[in-house]
Amino acid sequence: MTQLFSFLIKPQQYLDPGSGSLIVQIVLGVILGAGVAVRVFWKQIKNFFTGKKATDADFDPTEIDPDEIIDIPEEQKNK
Amino acid sequence: MAEKVSASFRDPSGFMFKRDGEFYRQVNQSYKADYDLFISSGLYQHLSKAKALIPHQEAELDFSPSPDKAYKIIKPLQLGFISYPYEWCFNQYKDAAILTLSIARRALEYGMVLKDASAYNIQFHEGRPIFIDTLSFEAYKEGLPWVAYKQFCQHFLAPLALMAKTDIRLLGLMRNYIDGIPLDLAAALLPKSTKLNLGLATHIHLHARSQQKYANQKLSQKELTGKISKQALYNLIDSLLTVVRSLKVETIMTEWSDYYQDNNYTESSFEAKRDLVTGFVKQVNPQTVWDLGGNTGEFSRCASDLEIPTISFDIDPGAVQQNYTIVKAEKEKFMLPLLMDLTNPSPAIGWHNQERDVLKERGPADLIMALALIHHMAIANNVPLRDVARSFAELGEYLLIEFVPKQDSQVIRLLSSRLDIFPDYNPEGFKQAFSEYYIILDEKPVTGSERMMFLMKKK
Repeated sequence: MTQLFSFLIKPQQYLDPGSGSLIVQIVLGVILGAGVAVRVFWKQIKNFFTGKKATDADFDPTEIDPDEIIDIPEEQKNK
Repeated sequence: MAEKVSASFRDPSGFMFKRDGEFYRQVNQSYKADYDLFISSGLYQHLSKAKALIPHQEAELDFSPSPDKAYKIIKPLQLGFISYPYEWCFNQYKDAAILTLSIARRALEYGMVLKDASAYNIQFHEGRPIFIDTLSFEAYKEGLPWVAYKQFCQHFLAPLALMAKTDIRLLGLMRNYIDGIPLDLAAALLPKSTKLNLGLATHIHLHARSQQKYANQKLSQKELTGKISKQALYNLIDSLLTVVRSLKVETIMTEWSDYYQDNNYTESSFEAKRDLVTGFVKQVNPQTVWDLGGNTGEFSRCASDLEIPTISFDIDPGAVQQNYTIVKAEKEKFMLPLLMDLTNPSPAIGWHNQERDVLKERGPADLIMALALIHHMAIANNVPLRDVARSFAELGEYLLIEFVPKQDSQVIRLLSSRLDIFPDYNPEGFKQAFSEYYIILDEKPVTGSERMMFLMKKK
């Protein structure tokens, strides 16, 4: 089994991803591609008509808030 | 000296250790390339700037308990308290899930992937979730599927779906399953209508069936490589984000008056109690406060409003969620609402019962508040007063406790349908029991009621 997954198993890959979970991703890759395109398109149509601003559902916690005062530790400032 | 953290052993990239009371993380040589990419790509900068990831500083290599493997030692921002997923209300859990997925998506933009998606990678800091596993990032390799997808579904999607669609109390399953709720169990417990929900039908039901089907099958390299494009990964993450965002547990914002009116409080006596509590908190001047049975945090805020880091524990998920809703709305930084049944608090679980700690191991706090609580333990749960005292004494140095006497409407209600087997449940018996563990510093009446507030210090 290890040889088959050798391309996946590197020192830092310690999780067992589960064969079933990997198969599902391949299957979903097909299904979701269509779904996401439709959803994005539909949202663009809705926003065009309603002039809606970004809602809570669109909130991305990894978005940097330009107004917030950021405190970065000394060592990282020069990187 | 340096002492490895017992919960940190699964990932060969590195581990957490403690030295002089502070936490450090060792980055092993085996992880060097990925760590360097994490920094040089700018992903670390971006995530720490966005307050999505815990920031760190580099430390001396000779701190390490196993220096032969070490590439770097980093010192993360020290957190005030460690909480676990089974102690979060639904919205805290949902925010943790959204953060994890957002980080996974952002990482892809920088050419990296998240190699695990454990709910234990999230902690709460200044009121909001933060990702703490700095070594969870590795270089993205074109064509490979997301290794952490299964873990995400078990740690996040399954518990959230069960809480939203079946019963809020199913959060407790996270205590039983150290690596998240098995998908076949989640599929069995979810209502059949969830099979019609695209997100749940795929990521839970189909996923569970696929796991069972391929459990013993070997997959050849050819079958897996090149099948998942980067766009497909984005689609997968977006799909998970959509389904997570669609799961909701309504927050019922009750008026404080609903609760307090049932307990003979008028608005002025409520204000008087707030002043009383605030006065005692100022007197103790604690660095940390734990409010036991804090409900929606009304009196916990007597401490957090003074910028004292306060944890407000309550048994009712609705109350904790209300409290969290206020924390988010007001952008509060000193309040952490958490779920806890004090008559059956979080156990020590995991390997050797040492991966996740009991409450007292995560303390002590400087001040414990126990307002309108004692009767729930001593009367409703038959816990002898001195055992309550002993238990509280293990949690913190100072205690602010409200004695609720038998004349109080709450206790009358508790005793209405049972035998009064509590001859010592009165002010004298209370003082005597608690004096075994505490010195009573002050005693004041709570106006508008028969209750008494005590300030005590551990002996």
